[in-house]
Amino acid sequence: MSTAAQRFLQDAAIKSADLLHREVIRRGMDSYDAAHLKGRARIKDWEAARQRCREIKREAINHLDRYLLQFEEKVIARGGHVFWAANSEEACTYVKNLATRLGVRTVVKSKSMVTEEIRLSPALEKAGIKVWETDLGEFIVQLRDEPPYHIVTPAMHLNRSQIAQLFREKLDPAIDSDDPVDLMAVARRKLREAFFAAEMGISGANFLVADAGVVAISTNEGNGRLCTSVPPIHVVVTGIEKVIPRLEDLAVLWPVLATSGTGQGITTYSTLIGGPRRAGETDGPEEFHVVLVDNGRSALLADAEQREVLHCIRCGACLNICPVFRHVGGHTYGTTYPGPIGSVLTPHLNGIKEFKHLSFASSLCGACSSVCPVKIDLHHHLLQNRRNATEAGATKSSERAMFRIWRAAMGSPSLYALGGWTVRKSLRLLYALGLAETFLDPMRVWNRYRSSMPLPSESFRAKWRKNRAASSS
Amino acid sequence: MLPQVGVDTVKVLRRLGYNLDYPEDQTCCGQPALNTGYWGEARPCAEHFVRVFKNADVVVCPSGSCVSVIRLLYPELLAHSPLREEALSLASRTFEFSEFLVKVEAITQVGASFPHTVTYHASCHGLRELGLREEPLKLLRQVDGLKLIEMVRSEECCGFGGTFAVKFADISGAMGNSKADSVAATSAEYVTAIDPSCLMHLDGILGKRQSPTRTIHLASILANEGPKNEGRQNDGPTQAKP
Amino acid sequence: MPQAQAEAQTKETPSENSSRDRILQQIRAGLRTVVPEPPALASDRVIFEPVANPLERFQQECVLNLMECALTADRAASARQLSQVLQSLPEGEIFVQDDPSLRQLIEVAAPGRPIRWSSQGAPAEASQATITLADALIAQTGSILVTAGCGGRGASVIAPCHIVYATVDQLVPDLTTALSRASRDGILDRNSFACVISGSSRTADIEKILVQGAHGPRRLVVILQRES
Repeated sequence: MSTAAQRFLQDAAIKSADLLHREVIRRGMDSYDAAHLKGRARIKDWEAARQRCREIKREAINHLDRYLLQFEEKVIARGGHVFWAANSEEACTYVKNLATRLGVRTVVKSKSMVTEEIRLSPALEKAGIKVWETDLGEFIVQLRDEPPYHIVTPAMHLNRSQIAQLFREKLDPAIDSDDPVDLMAVARRKLREAFFAAEMGISGANFLVADAGVVAISTNEGNGRLCTSVPPIHVVVTGIEKVIPRLEDLAVLWPVLATSGTGQGITTYSTLIGGPRRAGETDGPEEFHVVLVDNGRSALLADAEQREVLHCIRCGACLNICPVFRHVGGHTYGTTYPGPIGSVLTPHLNGIKEFKHLSFASSLCGACSSVCPVKIDLHHHLLQNRRNATEAGATKSSERAMFRIWRAAMGSPSLYALGGWTVRKSLRLLYALGLAETFLDPMRVWNRYRSSMPLPSESFRAKWRKNRAASSS
Repeated sequence: MLPQVGVDTVKVLRRLGYNLDYPEDQTCCGQPALNTGYWGEARPCAEHFVRVFKNADVVVCPSGSCVSVIRLLYPELLAHSPLREEALSLASRTFEFSEFLVKVEAITQVGASFPHTVTYHASCHGLRELGLREEPLKLLRQVDGLKLIEMVRSEECCGFGGTFAVKFADISGAMGNSKADSVAATSAEYVTAIDPSCLMHLDGILGKRQSPTRTIHLASILANEGPKNEGRQNDGPTQAKP
Repeated sequence: MPQAQAEAQTKETPSENSSRDRILQQIRAGLRTVVPEPPALASDRVIFEPVANPLERFQQECVLNLMECALTADRAASARQLSQVLQSLPEGEIFVQDDPSLRQLIEVAAPGRPIRWSSQGAPAEASQATITLADALIAQTGSILVTAGCGGRGASVIAPCHIVYATVDQLVPDLTTALSRASRDGILDRNSFACVISGSSRTADIEKILVQGAHGPRRLVVILQRES
């Protein structure tokens, strides 16, 4: 079986050459870019907003134990349940056993990347429980039996005609329109049945508010509202890093999340839920459970360089701006979290040996860090991951040997000059012998997409010497 | 590989009256090893750099990428080196070429003439690590006869990325071609930037597409003095053929 | 993990959740590493432009949020407005929060309409509209703040049209004010649910094209009365 790195290289080669894919993504990203810039302009001091969000998340992460306990206490006091899961298996087992015990046959889910991370839906389906993804994009990729392509817009790699075709195959052969309004209506009708049949709703959380003891869930479609209002059981599955200290913190986090995610001033439904239906309330679930997932997060706290990776609010801005994401697409990464944040985080969650290649698959252009609303220095963490992989001896021995030679050459000006001279002369000779593009040509990978590099006849150093000699004579 | 960039940088600075030295003991700032994760190999190289340049009042470099390494990464790379203090001091005296002219010396008019259409690619490290958004454009706007045409997504990476260009050649090539599409849409005669590495990569991409647009470093545009120097090859540094 | 143990945990108190202590221990161990933070920006920087005229701002934001806002003078005008909105909707049951002010309004505005009051339970799936009050209106974002007390959770999301009856004195300038007031008044201690709603339900999941009316209401109508 091929490794994750080999699969990445193969898929990247296919996707980056797929001009239709590039066009679909380009169009989606252009419309995001325009909305994002307009949204940012509505905030008087965007840099101050980023700084404030960073400080909020930093305070929360630096006192993670205290804020989680404060949150837990409030939820339990309202009659909710809080389960701490060390890993995916514990989280899935808890939800599955809960569903089995309460006789759940149908689950409606709103978008949650943590449930993707722990692979909750397959675990429930194995137990014979039907799971409906209810966010339109998630519903589409579920019908295609695919993981989400993007953490905010899961189906952005598909155009309307592909989606219409999918709906005809899976839902209703009579669908004769590919207008997004009509396609949404088809999904709405189908999912309405699910909302009212389901015994359990599962959601993620955008924030866990410690002082109020509530979960904050942002949703535009309203599917997250229905999942948490209609079924008799509501289960929240979320990462432990989502906690924030105070309810008032949302006054800046909500607008910044929406601006970075979609360019909106605030997400349409910014919901706060603190427990099951209270006595006297009209409706709402009778049971309320929060599953706090660690799954490698607490280990990141000890990493002084990269603790701030836990500040991430999953807005997707770094994916949107990333030129690598724009060319290879979300699925190529082969990870739950694609794009820059995924390349930084995945080695921590799933191992540096298997996923180090993602940190190298970047031009380190820094666009991600420049947009991150909580100011995570993403491209610097990619560089640190590269260093960590190299220091762990996880890189190729040929590469290690090459850099040892490089080190010797760079330490000595005469070797450096000789090296430059040798490269220029030997390439010239190679090409004169007609051996360009053969296996002997070290530039053949370079030349696959580029014309040959010009080989200057003399170095700057030589020119400088001549010039100095000329001016002194 | 691009000696003309150095030659033209010297030409512009001399014309403005600066006293220049090129310490011949210099090698590399260490970026290739540093960015590939070989910090142990990059460290002696960085230390060599610090020793070679420690007596300079100001170091000017026609590459935003190299300057960002010295300014932003040396403090971390050399955190436990005996040369740490020297490195920090050097970092505060090292400037990218356009940064030195515009930000430090407040010069935008260098008496250059370049009667051509030019589009500008904002090299990533100059733009985002050093914050040089307007400086190169201010210099270009003062060049006699030069018509600047803005390209779409001028701030998106060209796809070079050092060893990335070879390790992930397919992605780098695709990114380069997207950038070349943006360049082509301007129909400019030249595309310029403040980083030789971006230009070397783009030159190859444009060459493979047989694009009429040529690459030229900012310093090489500014080195052109206009009519009295007519006959000087206007070809960018990367146009020299083997 | 053995099935029996996991089942016991579904009825957990904190101490029965075996991973809880391990996770907390690991968190505390990790936090012993001190992480230096670069100097912060000046804390007096103003992030959002202060809202000078809340009513005007609210109306502007409603337009941006694709919601309808009708400003009325008094109760009689509000009843006329409500009647107009209801006449534009198909026949069928509407759901109304059981509150004296809404009972009075409905008597005038919707004689003969089948009504389901929130005291009778959640709105039916086929409701044509829901009518509720709000806890507050937020000018900065053109939002309405509803709680479980406003007819429940489904009252603002199940029907294709949600009508909110509010008065101008319920306007607060911004999110910070709304959230600090919610904190101070213990709104979330009295309600299991609250929601800041800023427009009708929508999606842009297909080609980033905005579609109004996803799973929730296609129309959000605010009848905003000057007289309290």
